[in-house]
Amino acid sequence: MEQIFFYILAAVVLIATLLAITERHAVHAIVYLATSFFALAGIFYLLGAPLIAVFEVIIYAGAIMVLFLFVIMMLDMGQPEKARGPSLKQWWPALLLGAIILGSMFTLFATTIPETLAGWSYTDAREFSRVLFRKYGVAVEVISLQLLFALVGALYLGRRKLP
Amino acid sequence: MIVPLTHVLILAGIIFVMGLACAIAWRNNLIMILIGIEIMLNAAMLAFVGGGAHWRLVDGQVFSLVIMALTSSEVSLALSMVVYLHRRKKTVSADEFSEMKG
Amino acid sequence: MKLYLSLILLLPLLGGIINALAGRFLPRKGSELLACGVIWGAFAASIFASLEYHGAARIDLMGWLSAFDFQAPVSLYIDPLSLVMIVMITFVCALIHTYSIAYMAHEEDYVRYFALLNLFVFAMLTLVLAENLPLLYLGWEGVGFCSYGLIGFWYNDEENATAGRKAFIVTRIGDTAFGIAIVWMFMLLGTVSITELNNLGSTLPMATVTGIGILLLIGAMGKSAQMPLMVWLPDAMAGPTPVSALIHAATMVTAGVYLLARMFPLISPSTTAMAAIAVTGGVTAFYAATCAMAQRDLKRALAYSTISQIGYMMLGVGAGAITAATFHLLVHAFFKALLFLGAGCVIAAMHHEQDIFKMGGLRKRLPLTYWPFLAGGACLAGLPLTGGFFSKDSILAAVWLKGGALYGGLYLLGLVTALLTSIYTFRMIYMVFGGDDSARKHCDSAHACKVPGLMEWALVPLALLGLFGGLLNLPSYLGGGWLNGFFSALPGGKEAEASHSLELTLQAIAGVLALAGLAIAHMRYGKAHRQERIAAAEGDAPGFVTFFQKGWRFDDLYRFLFIRPYEALSGFLWHQVDEGLIDGSLDRLASFLGRSGEGLGAWTSGKVSVYIISFAAGAALVMAYTAWFLL
Repeated sequence: MEQIFFYILAAVVLIATLLAITERHAVHAIVYLATSFFALAGIFYLLGAPLIAVFEVIIYAGAIMVLFLFVIMMLDMGQPEKARGPSLKQWWPALLLGAIILGSMFTLFATTIPETLAGWSYTDAREFSRVLFRKYGVAVEVISLQLLFALVGALYLGRRKLP
Repeated sequence: MIVPLTHVLILAGIIFVMGLACAIAWRNNLIMILIGIEIMLNAAMLAFVGGGAHWRLVDGQVFSLVIMALTSSEVSLALSMVVYLHRRKKTVSADEFSEMKG
Repeated sequence: MKLYLSLILLLPLLGGIINALAGRFLPRKGSELLACGVIWGAFAASIFASLEYHGAARIDLMGWLSAFDFQAPVSLYIDPLSLVMIVMITFVCALIHTYSIAYMAHEEDYVRYFALLNLFVFAMLTLVLAENLPLLYLGWEGVGFCSYGLIGFWYNDEENATAGRKAFIVTRIGDTAFGIAIVWMFMLLGTVSITELNNLGSTLPMATVTGIGILLLIGAMGKSAQMPLMVWLPDAMAGPTPVSALIHAATMVTAGVYLLARMFPLISPSTTAMAAIAVTGGVTAFYAATCAMAQRDLKRALAYSTISQIGYMMLGVGAGAITAATFHLLVHAFFKALLFLGAGCVIAAMHHEQDIFKMGGLRKRLPLTYWPFLAGGACLAGLPLTGGFFSKDSILAAVWLKGGALYGGLYLLGLVTALLTSIYTFRMIYMVFGGDDSARKHCDSAHACKVPGLMEWALVPLALLGLFGGLLNLPSYLGGGWLNGFFSALPGGKEAEASHSLELTLQAIAGVLALAGLAIAHMRYGKAHRQERIAAAEGDAPGFVTFFQKGWRFDDLYRFLFIRPYEALSGFLWHQVDEGLIDGSLDRLASFLGRSGEGLGAWTSGKVSVYIISFAAGAALVMAYTAWFLL
């Protein structure tokens, strides 16, 4: 049962991402992307990481994508109807390099990975936070510092000069 | 685990390549480059979570959270830079800012 | 004997070296005296050597080239042929050196002149006295080099330098053939000594002997200005007149004849080679005589005359008469040097005017030049009882006595040439010395047409020798020749015996022809007609006269056949290969590197898009390599 959900959600992710990257209009692209992130959150839940799924929706789709929308709307980038997507000349290096990397990855995945126990397990918040704050406590501190830097930097870069 | 790890990794790989294609194809548009980066990071998160689920470790999820936190700080800085650059040259075309030439 | 021969070689060499190195520091008189003195000293030594002579001898001086079985020491060979040659050479050269003192009195660069002249004499004597072929070749090359240096003496004038180069290059063709012959003979017989080669020559097959003979003939052709390598001698008149007298009349051009006479025992068994030599000589004699008839320049006429007379000598060698050829060589040296020195007097007096149609009346102005010149001209034309008459006739007699169709034809050719010789000689004399004093316009009190006495007195001994040179080898009906007897030991030395009546008949024919030539010249150029000829010469010459004047247009032929393709080839190689291919490929390589550097430098464009692609490409490369590696 869960397998079917996984594949459906995987299809949604792929289609949404594909639409996002080929969309000329930036806002449409971001909305597609949010869709893709929702589906990805579902996949995270199916893989036994409900906390990460929640964080994905709240932080990624909720904060970061909204931030993108703010910036796009704040910047006056001209008529979106007249925006031109990349031409074939722009696309072919992407396709070529993407194909190479994809091919290499599939080749590498061809090595068999030993199966462990089947079944679906589920990491609850208690266990997650135990590992996070005990084992990776220093990482938490560092990340909070980093968020502080980012905040200060964003404030500084975005200031308007006083006349 | 509900699906073999290989499938999860394949999915993550395809998402990653799509993000890379977005970053390369839209290489003249700063915002789309950032979006491509976001997609790639998501793919990495998926790979971590899948690996953690496969080996029954929580560490995969922890690292996925770390990526998310880093991504948010990176995006805020990147977007504020985009705003700044737009104020300077009224464009988000990446090729306009080639003062680092040579 | 060894002392005298060493002195004969060393004195000119020392004179040349001292003049070359220290001549600038000596006073002018000292340098000139040194140069002349050494040659007179060599002459004295050759006289002493001839007094002490008692048979052919080989004298070893020192070692020179020696490698495995190739031996070429400095050894000299004295035999009748070389003995008469060195006496003649040293005497004529000494006279010409003395003459040069006066001729080059206004020349600033006299040191180079006298040094080259001395070195030339050294090289010529080495050539004549050499016992082995490499030493002879050394002298051969030495005279070639000195000739080049002296022809182009006034090298600041482009034409003179070109003439010198032309002489060097054309003789070089002959020298190459000679060199090949030397190496070939060494390969076949294992020796380069002339005496040994002549003795061993009978062991070779006839075709080889013919081949060697032809190669030696080509070498002689180059040096002696025979057809087809004769184009350099008329142009060589660009040098000072004493040089023309010395090198291109008496000594260097006779080197070819001398070589063939030396190697005669080796090559005489081959009738083909002998015939080739005779034909070369005969045809050249005829050719040069026709050209001399049309020349306007006095020295060029004498140059063609030299070519013609050497043709006679070659004809003699080809007929197997070494004595006759040597006899003519000796007498020719005397009267041709005389004619050239006389021409030098005339040219100096006329302030370097050389066109005979612009001269005249010098008979009364320069009597001391006129009479010896007339004597020389008579010898050249072969008027009866002069030295030239006997010598030329001995060659013609030898050719007649050889018999056969070829030699018969050559005899007739020789007779025609003798007639032409007489005509052009007296044409020259009538135009230069005859007529009234139309040269007056050249000479006035400002630049008097006079000649230094030293120059004129040098002519007298040569005139006497020319006139009475016949005594050297009187025909048998007058008591037999001394030269004949002296040379009897040499192969080819013995003259063919002929009955007295036959000899007299042949001589009468030759004498009649010479006098007929005088008569024709008198009719055409004498007294009344002289002015007509001068007037006719004012305009352009008709086509056939130009043909003869330009030496049957051989220069143009060679230019067309050889020089133009060569220049085209070298131009092609220069522009297309050297500049285009070699330089061009380096230039293209350098510019390619430059452009590729610029192209690579364009990668740092500062554009983010370029960097994104580069980054992705690098990542793809790494991943692909990893995948391939793990595969």
